[in-house]
Amino acid sequence: MRIVMCGIGALGSTAVQLLRNVAAELRLVDFDRVESKNLAAQWFVKQSLHKNKAEAARLQLANFYGAKAEALGVRLAATNAAQLLAGCDLAVDCFDNADSRITLSQAATTAGVPLLHAAISADGTFGLVRWDERFTADREDAPGQPTCEGGEHLPMIGLVGATLARAIQDFVASGARHDYLVSMSGVMRTS
Amino acid sequence: MAILNITYMGQSADYELALDAHTSDADIKRIAIEVVRAGGVRGLHVPDLPGNAFVSFVVDRLRGTGGEQRIYLRPKVPFGAPARRRCAS
Repeated sequence: MRIVMCGIGALGSTAVQLLRNVAAELRLVDFDRVESKNLAAQWFVKQSLHKNKAEAARLQLANFYGAKAEALGVRLAATNAAQLLAGCDLAVDCFDNADSRITLSQAATTAGVPLLHAAISADGTFGLVRWDERFTADREDAPGQPTCEGGEHLPMIGLVGATLARAIQDFVASGARHDYLVSMSGVMRTS
Repeated sequence: MAILNITYMGQSADYELALDAHTSDADIKRIAIEVVRAGGVRGLHVPDLPGNAFVSFVVDRLRGTGGEQRIYLRPKVPFGAPARRRCAS
């Protein structure tokens, strides 16, 4: 099985480290680079500064755990989405904007690849892990609204990232497609 | 009957209610304001809940694992990480 992780930021990088022993090959996709501000909220270390995020995560998996992954340092778009999803059995959306989520959803539907989304609220109190058939991308309050790098919501990012990793693990093991709602009250399975 | 799940300020709780099939999102939000203020939602009692608390929230209508109607009133989740504007500088 091959899994393509789209967006290696806060949720994506957190989930990737928890998938280091998953029984699948990981393909990591992100065009962005690691900046110092990312170290507070994302699974990157100082030695990864200025590297492409997909490549940095690949190197950290290899150097820390001896785990292999494929890194593609490109921006997913309608023009290359089919190529990025090629050969994959599962796509995972950890993007930080509605447009990219929708582009990925359309490409996954066309390619017949199951798609799992993960997202978190602006105030860091709530998160969702939901399969594409029940997911609608929420719009930012303002286009291009920046994301938090301050790290004060890191525990919630960890909770949502861990829930995402577990949902992926369940899919790999049995094909199960569970949705989860994550709040400070706990993690609730919703389907 | 339907289960209305309300998430507010990090807390999430269920409230069982009878709903007509055409109940609008605005009605769901109005009901949620009333029951949260009144203490009708176990674990989520906010007597001074602002009337606009759920204005930007999303209403999802799904089927639960047992086939029951479940309605989720929740914050928007556009991000892979939270928004800077809410963060301490």
